[in-house]
Amino acid sequence: MNKKIFVVLLVLLTAVALTGWAGGAQEEAATGAAEEDTGEVVVEEWEIPFLNVLSGPIASIGEYLQWGADRAAQEINEAGGIAGKPVTVKAIDTGMSPEKGSVEMAKIADSALVSMGPVPEPVIMAAMPIAVENGLYSMTATTSYEYAVEFFPWSISWFAPTKEKLPPVVTEWAKMQDLDRVVQFVESYGPWPGMAEAHEIGLEAAGVEVLKQVDVPTDAVTFGPLVVKALEQNPDGIVFACNAEKIAKIIIELKSRGWEDLNNLLVFNSGDAPELYTTGGKQINGTMIYNYTNDALDTPRWNAYKKAYMEDHDGTRPPALSTHYYDAVYMIKEAIEETGVTGDPDKLKEERIKIRDYCNNVKNFEGIQFTWSMSDGVPTDKPLFLFEIQDGDKELVKEVRPE
Amino acid sequence: MPLPMYYFLAVTAIYILLSWSIYLPYRVMHLHFMSVANMTISGYLGAYAALSWGWPFMLVLVVGIVVGAFVGWITSFAIGDAPTFAVVIVGFTYIYISKTVVENTDALGGTLGLFNIPSIHSDPSTSKLLLLIIVYLFVILMGFLIHRFENSRLGRAASAIFVDHQLAKSFGINVKRTGMFLQTWSSAMGGASGVLYAYLMRNLFPDFFTFHLIGIAMTMLFVGGYATMWGGLLAAPLLWGGPLLFPPEIASWRIVIYGTILVVMLVLKPEGLITRPLVYRIESYFRRRRDRRIPS
Repeated sequence: MNKKIFVVLLVLLTAVALTGWAGGAQEEAATGAAEEDTGEVVVEEWEIPFLNVLSGPIASIGEYLQWGADRAAQEINEAGGIAGKPVTVKAIDTGMSPEKGSVEMAKIADSALVSMGPVPEPVIMAAMPIAVENGLYSMTATTSYEYAVEFFPWSISWFAPTKEKLPPVVTEWAKMQDLDRVVQFVESYGPWPGMAEAHEIGLEAAGVEVLKQVDVPTDAVTFGPLVVKALEQNPDGIVFACNAEKIAKIIIELKSRGWEDLNNLLVFNSGDAPELYTTGGKQINGTMIYNYTNDALDTPRWNAYKKAYMEDHDGTRPPALSTHYYDAVYMIKEAIEETGVTGDPDKLKEERIKIRDYCNNVKNFEGIQFTWSMSDGVPTDKPLFLFEIQDGDKELVKEVRPE
Repeated sequence: MPLPMYYFLAVTAIYILLSWSIYLPYRVMHLHFMSVANMTISGYLGAYAALSWGWPFMLVLVVGIVVGAFVGWITSFAIGDAPTFAVVIVGFTYIYISKTVVENTDALGGTLGLFNIPSIHSDPSTSKLLLLIIVYLFVILMGFLIHRFENSRLGRAASAIFVDHQLAKSFGINVKRTGMFLQTWSSAMGGASGVLYAYLMRNLFPDFFTFHLIGIAMTMLFVGGYATMWGGLLAAPLLWGGPLLFPPEIASWRIVIYGTILVVMLVLKPEGLITRPLVYRIESYFRRRRDRRIPS
């Protein structure tokens, strides 16, 4: 009897154990299925924080960068959002303050899926280490390669290395104008002296004698002595690597001292800001300028962008940098949709990496101005454009693509 | 500790040190902006030593303080008893010179800046905590020393110089030595602030240490109160931290708000929030309470 009871109990226990095990396995399988990536977006709205410079001396730049980013978000939302959810670009003002930039970056470092900015170099240098330390990918789309590279792979460079990208366009200009002796006006700010060095490489490649550069003090208000210093070297061409307003004032000073051929003046891309045109007016007609934005482009997307920008800015044309964060928002959209990012806070770390890796190596990205590809965070085939300034407009002279 | 809180506290401590470094020489009517130049010199020197020679943090900090003090001391031979305006000009000149030297020195990163200053510990969280502790220990030490100074003969001598230079001389006070001492101390604090700032930010840019820091320190000093050390201590977290709490719509106006506060304060309460009589009243209140507790 006891033996029978023992056997029955053993069978029952075995059955229970097996059932439990199987149930557990079923449960485990069910849990596993639940944990599997369904690819469904869990956020109600995508939020992209943008550490921008909205106050202080370069707030005007921050305004049009923000305008570009907001415009992209608006277009995306009108077209159905990112993976079906709307997107907002959250403007965060850092001013020019490294201290404020670091606190603002710290606020988003552990929660944001991806961010944009910071914009001014002092803020980039203070805030980006926080992003790197916390594994937050932040798109620094206005600074030069030399800054962005320090924070790779957690940042992106919108430009190729300065000494590779700039020389060809300067060589083209020098050859076109048949120049022999060129002097540069250079201001000591962040990447600008490095850009001046890249200009020299381009000039030397064109067989031009590079004269002693004229340093433009940051706080300069009168430019007569600087112009005299340049002219006494008897140049036949001049390159500008300084603040836009100062460039306009120097050109006006040059004209007042008898400089005639404005085609022999070349303004670098950071000089392509509204201050150049508002201060220079018709006085700078004929000056050459290079940058990454072809104002004369004729595509429906660019025309709509340009029209909207001009309507919002009293007829001022979009500055060269205004498209950078517009494209950045679209690149983030593409990354989210192509990699199946869900916005799930539990997957924050892996989804940040997905966006980072996608953007840093995106192929044939359709920007508003042109299509380009990235390799490890560096653009491989972005063109540069050479223009002639006429009445506040830029007339395309030549497009220079990297070989 | 939440990351924003860490940066808020660390930057607050540096602002306190900076405002004290302006406050100390102001006790003898010197607006000694050299401490900002000392931040540049010691910050860059420290960063370079850490990056190129592998110096540990504490050595960098000590050398930064010594170098700051040395530069301030040497210069104080010329401006220890100079008029306020001359001291201001020397300070500005030093800021220009130090910035220009940095911008033209490739080893210091030139205009591009200096990157990847090492942490003080291999673990980032420990590094942050240690740095914060060190910064605040330094603030407490400086606060203690300044408090001792205020209640010493030297402090009273400084007060006499502040009221009337010539009168102080007639009392037998060595005006130049007092000025030299305070300028050297201020420069040492500037040097320490530079090193601490460099380790906090982990990168250095020539525009970090320029006139905006003077503006901030001056606002803190004059809003907080220039007659006691407590002014900077109160104003640093308020003026620096306040704008961080502003909603984004108002945040862009913070410079205007800063300026308005300064103007309003200068008009309505030119001596600042914390005045010396207020400190005396608070001290005597606590003294009375203590005396009441002790049976006679």
